[in-house]
Amino acid sequence: MSETTFMGVEREKIDWKPVIDYAKCNFCMECAKFCPHRVFEIRENEEIKLIVKNPFNCVVFCRACSKTCGPDALSFPDKNETSQMIREIRKEAENNG
Amino acid sequence: MVEKYAVLPCNGLDKCAGVISREIALRLCGEAGHEIICPVFSRIAEVKYRKIISEHPLFVIDGCPTRCASKLAVEKNFKISNKITVTEEAKKSGIELNDTLQLREKEQALIGIILNDLMNTGNKVTQTIEETGVSCHFDYETFQKGKFLFRVPVNKEIFFNENDCWAYVSGNRARIGVTDFVQQNLSDILFFTPPEMGAEIDQFGEAGEIESSKSVFELITPVSGKVIAVNEALIQKPELINENPYELGWIADLELTAFENDKELLIGFDKYFEIMKRKVNDLNG
Ligand code: SF4
Ligand code: SF4
Repeated sequence: MSETTFMGVEREKIDWKPVIDYAKCNFCMECAKFCPHRVFEIRENEEIKLIVKNPFNCVVFCRACSKTCGPDALSFPDKNETSQMIREIRKEAENNG
Repeated sequence: MVEKYAVLPCNGLDKCAGVISREIALRLCGEAGHEIICPVFSRIAEVKYRKIISEHPLFVIDGCPTRCASKLAVEKNFKISNKITVTEEAKKSGIELNDTLQLREKEQALIGIILNDLMNTGNKVTQTIEETGVSCHFDYETFQKGKFLFRVPVNKEIFFNENDCWAYVSGNRARIGVTDFVQQNLSDILFFTPPEMGAEIDQFGEAGEIESSKSVFELITPVSGKVIAVNEALIQKPELINENPYELGWIADLELTAFENDKELLIGFDKYFEIMKRKVNDLNG
């Protein structure tokens, strides 16, 4: 179900995923309930009850789950840097192909 | 803020942002004569507030992105006409909120800024919308999944990103909006926050928000540019986005700043139609 490419670039080459700040997270699980892409995994019996399990399922440039997070515990990479990176990878591929 | 509002605050008493929401609501009502809706009491006895709600536009103050007050309004079928989120206002003002439940200097400063903003917006000259001359009537390719119909406009000047937003380019300007994929997934759109007039937004930056009871969607602009018009009709009638997000439900007009460069990371109808179909199938099994 995960996309394998984004804008023609292998998804796994793009660093875009939520990062959970465990100092702020209260494990309300709103983000995990919200995201339809199974990026998060809930671990009921562990001390850390939520992890980013499938980072490459996360839709590049999406930050939707952070809008559901009361304590503002989710952060993402810089969008400009990410789009720059995508451009560079595409250029490289063009030059090599 | 010239009209008299019915004010519905979040009132989350165990969080700093909640305590601030409550204080803002109390002061709006005490000092500026607006009418308060108690979120706790309205839950069990909304009858008490029905008259106020029917006579005045509703102003919602959410403390944090959990949006309890907005959700309550939706649940009770109150139409929201304006709202703010305290944590977002704090970010805008560069004030960091702590866990404290006391209103100390920092919190009071934020309350002051927010109240000042609210009370003065009525005095601002209303922005006139530039006539951009972009007219939108398109032909569509459609496909159906269950009871949901998905349209995608077929037009060479319309570009998409893989984040389900479109840009209709005309000269050095573009109109932007969301696709049917977004609109169908959110279902009834209840609130629209336009991007700021004059703001310069980079490609893939956020250009406004739309919100349903399910969630909030940030429009991810396919093109970079300066906001020269926003669709003010959506403020009163956000449901226009559900009716047709490509025509009357457009979001904003931008003056393009780097279109040749942006184009590299955009796709046309053919590719987007395929991607959208795949996403719909993935989501709905
Ligand atoms: S950013 Fe979007 S896709 Fe990524 S985890 Fe959050 S909701 Fe899911
Ligand atoms: S929404 Fe925020 S606080 Fe709740 S589980 Fe997710 S990261 Fe943690």
